[in-house]
Amino acid sequence: MPHHKFQIEDSFLTRRQFLHRCGLGFGALALADLMSQAGLLASEAVPHAPSPLAPKQPMFPARAKRVIHLFANGGPSHVDTFDPKPMLDKYHGKTLPQSFQTEVKTGGAFRSPFTFRKFGQSGIEVSEIFEHVGECIDDICVIRSMYTDVPNHEPAMLLMNCGDPIQVRPSMGSWVTYGLGTENQQLPGYIAMCPGGLPDVGPQNWRSAFLPGAYQGVYLNTQHTNVEKLIEHIRNQYTSLKEQRRQLDLLLEVNERHQRERNQDAQLEARVQSFELAYRMQMEASAAFDISKEPQHIRDMYGNTTYAKQVLIARRLIEGGVRFVQVYTGAVGPWDSHDDLEIEHRRLAKESDKATATLLKDLKQRGLLDETLVIWGGEFGRTPTVELPTGGNSHSPTGRDHNHHGFTMWLAGGGIKGGHVHGATDEFGFQAIENKVHIHDLHATILWLLGFDHEKFTYRYAGRDFRLTDIHGKVVKEILA
Amino acid sequence: MAKVRSFMAGIVGACWFAGFAYVACQEAATANTRENAGDTAEFFEKRVRPVLAENCFSCHGEELQMAGLRLDSRQAILKGRENGHIVVKPGDPENSPLIRAIRHRGEIKMPPTGRLSEEEIQVITEWVRMGVPWPEEAATAPNSDAREFFEEHIRPILVDRCYACHTDSASGGFRLDSRESLLRGGSRGPAIIPGKPEESLLIRAVSRIDSNLMMPLVGEKLSDQEIANLKAWISMGAPWPESSLAQAGRKIGAQTKVHWSFQPVKASAIPEVKNEAWVKTPVDAFILAKLENKALAPSPPADPRALIRRAYYDLIGLPPTPKEVEAFRANPSPEAFAEIVDRLLTSPQYGERWGRHWLDVARYGETKGYTTVGLPEELRYPFAYTYRDWVIRAFNEDIPYDQFLTYQIAADYLVKGEDKRDLAALGFLTLGRRVQNNIHEIIDDRLDVVFRGTQALTIGCARCHDHKYDPIPTKDYYSLYGVFASTEEKTLPLVASHTEVEPFNAFERERQTREKKMKEFLKAKRAALLPRFRQQVGEYLVAAHAAEMLRVPANAIKLHLVMVERWRSYLEKTRQEFHPVFGPWNAFATLLEQDFAAKAPALAAEFSSGQGREKRANPLVAKLFAGRPPNSLQEVAERYGRLFNELDVTWKSTAEPRTDPAEEELRQVLYGQDSPTNVPEEATKPGQHSIATFLDEPSHDELDALKRSLLRWSFSASAPPHALVLVDAPEPNKPRVFIRGKPDTLGEEVPRQFLVALVGAKREPFKQGSGRLELARAIANRHNPLTARVLVNRVWLWLFGAGLVRTPSDFGLRSEPPSHSELLDYLAQRFMDEGWSVKKLVRLIVLSSVYQQSSEDNPQHRLVDPENRLLWRMNRRRLDFESLRDSLLFASGNLDTKMGGRSVDLTEQPFSGRRTVYGFIDRDNLPAMMRAFDFAAPETHSPQRINTTVPQQALFMMNSPFVIEQARSLAKRAEVGGPSDTDSGIRSLYRVVFQRDPSSEEIMLAQRFLGAGKIEGPESAVSKPQVWYYGFGEFDEQAKRVRSFEPFPHWTGESWQGGSDLPVPKLGRALLKAEEGHPGPDAQHAVIRRWVAPRDGEVSIVGTLTQPPSFATAAIAGDGVRGRIISSRWGELGSWLVHNGFTETSIEQIEVKRGDTLDFVVDCRTNPYYDSFAWAPTIRLVEPPQKEAAEEVMEWSAANDFAGPSKKIPEALTSWEKYAQVLMMSNEFIFLD
Repeated sequence: MPHHKFQIEDSFLTRRQFLHRCGLGFGALALADLMSQAGLLASEAVPHAPSPLAPKQPMFPARAKRVIHLFANGGPSHVDTFDPKPMLDKYHGKTLPQSFQTEVKTGGAFRSPFTFRKFGQSGIEVSEIFEHVGECIDDICVIRSMYTDVPNHEPAMLLMNCGDPIQVRPSMGSWVTYGLGTENQQLPGYIAMCPGGLPDVGPQNWRSAFLPGAYQGVYLNTQHTNVEKLIEHIRNQYTSLKEQRRQLDLLLEVNERHQRERNQDAQLEARVQSFELAYRMQMEASAAFDISKEPQHIRDMYGNTTYAKQVLIARRLIEGGVRFVQVYTGAVGPWDSHDDLEIEHRRLAKESDKATATLLKDLKQRGLLDETLVIWGGEFGRTPTVELPTGGNSHSPTGRDHNHHGFTMWLAGGGIKGGHVHGATDEFGFQAIENKVHIHDLHATILWLLGFDHEKFTYRYAGRDFRLTDIHGKVVKEILA
Repeated sequence: MAKVRSFMAGIVGACWFAGFAYVACQEAATANTRENAGDTAEFFEKRVRPVLAENCFSCHGEELQMAGLRLDSRQAILKGRENGHIVVKPGDPENSPLIRAIRHRGEIKMPPTGRLSEEEIQVITEWVRMGVPWPEEAATAPNSDAREFFEEHIRPILVDRCYACHTDSASGGFRLDSRESLLRGGSRGPAIIPGKPEESLLIRAVSRIDSNLMMPLVGEKLSDQEIANLKAWISMGAPWPESSLAQAGRKIGAQTKVHWSFQPVKASAIPEVKNEAWVKTPVDAFILAKLENKALAPSPPADPRALIRRAYYDLIGLPPTPKEVEAFRANPSPEAFAEIVDRLLTSPQYGERWGRHWLDVARYGETKGYTTVGLPEELRYPFAYTYRDWVIRAFNEDIPYDQFLTYQIAADYLVKGEDKRDLAALGFLTLGRRVQNNIHEIIDDRLDVVFRGTQALTIGCARCHDHKYDPIPTKDYYSLYGVFASTEEKTLPLVASHTEVEPFNAFERERQTREKKMKEFLKAKRAALLPRFRQQVGEYLVAAHAAEMLRVPANAIKLHLVMVERWRSYLEKTRQEFHPVFGPWNAFATLLEQDFAAKAPALAAEFSSGQGREKRANPLVAKLFAGRPPNSLQEVAERYGRLFNELDVTWKSTAEPRTDPAEEELRQVLYGQDSPTNVPEEATKPGQHSIATFLDEPSHDELDALKRSLLRWSFSASAPPHALVLVDAPEPNKPRVFIRGKPDTLGEEVPRQFLVALVGAKREPFKQGSGRLELARAIANRHNPLTARVLVNRVWLWLFGAGLVRTPSDFGLRSEPPSHSELLDYLAQRFMDEGWSVKKLVRLIVLSSVYQQSSEDNPQHRLVDPENRLLWRMNRRRLDFESLRDSLLFASGNLDTKMGGRSVDLTEQPFSGRRTVYGFIDRDNLPAMMRAFDFAAPETHSPQRINTTVPQQALFMMNSPFVIEQARSLAKRAEVGGPSDTDSGIRSLYRVVFQRDPSSEEIMLAQRFLGAGKIEGPESAVSKPQVWYYGFGEFDEQAKRVRSFEPFPHWTGESWQGGSDLPVPKLGRALLKAEEGHPGPDAQHAVIRRWVAPRDGEVSIVGTLTQPPSFATAAIAGDGVRGRIISSRWGELGSWLVHNGFTETSIEQIEVKRGDTLDFVVDCRTNPYYDSFAWAPTIRLVEPPQKEAAEEVMEWSAANDFAGPSKKIPEALTSWEKYAQVLMMSNEFIFLD
């Protein structure tokens, strides 16, 4: 596969322009995919405008084809989940020998209220609140040396999702669907789920910014199960499907007559196809989101929480060919335990632990884990020290503040080395010190797993070639299987 | 470089082509030169390369190869010019044309701008004589290791430690930002000698071995490692990756001089063409000349219907009526089209169409983007619409474009009379994103919209480093930054005349009243809260100490934890050095509890004696310990507390300064700027505490209500138009470069001035205020090479779907050149000559043959020019979102042509019939349908609409209530007649929708459709019995039953509650959402989620009742909530208390009969605050129904089933309505031929 330089118009030029721009190798391939998708291979002569979401080949063979990002928004505490720090017991209540800039002032060391134990062959230590995930640890690579730029939710969310804390940049999911399209044209290529409202910074988390709007994430409020509330205009409330089919048959004829006089214009044809896709989407999308179609034992395995529901939907979507799925824990930032960390983290883990573990097992059992990259983590971690009351929080020093100097994320599936720990924080868990991994490095690695060289995967806008990783990022080779 | 800048490339090229005569030159190099040469490599690096780099490379180097010649490698020099003529004969300077050229001995004189010095000439001559030695070096192509080493270890040192002085300012006449400059060095000679670190001046300087040369001047010496790295790098040959910024920067100068868009606009001659008959306007000649050049012919004229539709949509964004089409068809006069165009240009709807184009450029939006605020009103600009309306008016009135721009950048300078309406133009600058209210980002956004919008320059690239491609140094960015940093925002009324003043005054009076109310509330709260805090010094000292030690402060003492923290951090600061007031406290506080009794007396004696370091202790504090040592820290705190109490009481809580210095020192603790107890009424900085921080929940509610009332006043119907404007700050900002874009690393100061690339090095700094007017005039200027070109290109894009330059907001060096550069210049020149009239420009283009061509395909032409860059036909275009939505409304007869005013929500029912340009634009949450239809992303400037085809667009057309409503209205239109007479009905429908008659085939097709099928609602529309109800009531403790149930009166879209703004009287904050809720303020107003059994059976109930930890303070935290499940048949099934936690609420099995109720009741217990809870139970049938009834519901989930008021099931569409919808969905409706 020759290097393909991704350019602005790839996705919505006419075929002629498309081939012209991309070099024959790539263009021909994508087009073949597209045409078989649209059933058009028979009529080679018809110029056809490719859908912006038609599946595309990456730059080199990919290890992962799809992504599920379990976004524990709010910033889960690493020292209470995947990065045990016995030194905190020793120093509990005492001032740490080092001091770090945090969002607000923190006090002395705060030992984890949870116990850790070793799991799996690899013997990686995981907190009791994630015991089910612990059972899957041999499929998981724990990165204990993540770090990010700022200890505030909003910029940290933007950095994690869009690679820049401030500027308007496309989200990772938008980049990925832009680069790969999606395998199922009846479903959106990029879906972001969050129950009951929006995470911090809202739709900016899945924005396409200067990429075409087709690559924007579709947000689903998974508090609802009603598909009509999930995808705008997915159902017609005014006529039966049968009657609608009759309408579309007539539309086909009307358009066909119009097109005949216009020498088979590609954009006309594309719009005709889009109605057919939309019609099928009404059925497919409903089915994809309808978890009642899952056998009861599967539903039981995932559990009965809202979180479990969205994780199960995520699996169904991935199975249905959706390229990029994000699952947020909840509105604003549920993991933001400034207070009552013990209660809050226990509750949040209880709602998500089993479902998360089941997702990994379920994907594995279906043979999907190998090509699905699962990512878990927040936008930053939490301080090993206790947060002092300042007004942002509340009534007693029972929580932790934001910590961007070091935190944990884990990855599993698609090309990831299981049962592996990468990097480390200092003895208290304040700062990543060994094999540090910046968000840009994580992005570079994710793109690499999906078959892209993050330095070459660019989009020309405002006179510049933009990348997800801007001018940074290094692929973390050590975590690759 | 400076010399090279001023010569014209064309002339030089021609000279080289003129050819050489080989003239012998007998001048011998002096012995001196040779002696000094030393070894060849050093001679080359020290003497030869600097001369070449300085004088030759910018035109004969990597970027430019004038006359096909490069002089930057030996090979290239030996190769000579592109025509094969050599330029040097190694070893034979006398016969080398290069030497002749630098000696100015012939026709060709190099460099063209001035002669080299005699010494330089001798050096080059000697070098040629030596055989043109060019030492091998790593630097010409650094391998990737070298590149990495440089980027990782060397560049950061240079940037962090050297660039503050040695870049453009070139301290010591010396820059460190390119390899050439290092090799050339400064007054002391080359800074580095590749391969020889020990001999390199740079290493001597940073090693600080020579007291005359110690670098960096500022800050610490470089670390040994850093110096070692520099040495290693020089040993490698000082590789400097080619892609480096400085390298690129060096080449920019020359390119600027030849890049098309920086050249003055030239009055192009109208080209000659063969087919003169086709030329209606000069535009056509330019287009046709290029076509003929490729042996292509333009397409025939479009048919009248296509043409009139095209013109209507392009000029006013709406279709013509059938009558207008017929009239045009029937009028064969050659003037007919021009008449239509003139009529459209004067239509007020022209401004709505063209104004919207400009709003894309202006990244128009009505929300602020992400800022840290609480109320939704604060996220909106209340008067954004006045800018939108101004733009529409400006286009309608055809305000000259130069003036149009000047107003948008500097209207405040110009609007002096009574008519203030033009102030609204400043919305162009003010209505962008407010990234966390970060001023640097706001200014960056303003610079971006001005420069990409009007100049097609991406100056934002120069924020952190010199622009990589375009001639925009970082300094220029900050020159312009300074202009906007010298401004302030104001909301000003747009008073048009005396008669209108009163509404503005009335509005302002009321605004001030509301503002005053809010301020007075805060003032009163502050007056109530602060004395209390001042009286509690002792308690807070103890608590702050405990907090420090990580002991949980006792909740029993009624302290505010934020105040504890204020004290803690205050005390922390008093420990930096001995503090006269709290020094003693700090000393006692460090004693361990067990040592206290033993060590306190000595301390007490020390402080009270006033000896030693403690001499500085405040005498009033010292007195506290005189003769009576404290027994515990608690006691120390109490003594402090008493002291402050007594003093504050005597002072009567006034903030008057005391004459006694000891008292004054203590007064500062309670009243000083940084006093913990001196909390301001309102925060002035982010993160600052204000009195609001200390309010309890009811007071918070009150404050929110006051704030809301103030904010809403600006959005109210009675608010007359205002504008958010910029005015100059009293003191203009003196901008300094932010090194690498970081505001905390300041570089040199720069004047506020315009871009060097556009006005040259002789520019004058701005003088008037911020310089905004001067900036505006530099842009809206006949001599600016970009302004007119950029606009003309945009107009072309808006009319043809593609610009002559396909990157309409980037005319920089990396942009594609125009497809028709002479045409672009012709139009730009004419545009300016005709008084910058956009209407005249549009008219000129639209009346041209090229615009009036058919859009029919021509396969032969397509082979030659597949992208139609030469415009052998018109482009077929799809309607944009605005035209599509407006057309649907137009066809349905629902279009409301009212102009101007506040925006309307386009997604809400009942649907507005206003034109789409009046739709509300939420910058951060653009409605999905607008995104789906490629509406301009309003986050930043949008150069052009992207054009995608996705199924979401089809779903909107097929299923959205909006389209269905329009289809129904269309079917009902009087002109359409109705289905009773289908044949004429179909005809009228065609005329309304397509402005043409149907063919007989089309009528047949329609009749076939109308004859079959039936009126049939969707399968899902079968109504389900309602099982859930949402209300409030009281639980009867004795009877263990629900005494009353009353449904909630208000539905917000996601919540059932007492009214739109909570709290409301009686019900307070009571509400129920899908999974969450909040009880009312007393037992009579518990919230009740009621389930009514739709059938008999045994059910189980599962659920979790959660009461999350609140953001309350210890003193006023709530007491949690109580949840109960009550069966109408069995009474109370369970009761759970929960406070900051969660509990399972499961009922194993319970029998219900159809019509029974299960009530999920939550009350507030005794404290009505901080009572938000989550509880979304699921009720399941224990016995699953028989198989044949598999469709039956077995499970009822509070969360999933949650719904607002049940909606009426809409009527199913009739065949006639369905048919109308099909026509609206068709390609013919949405495409313009």
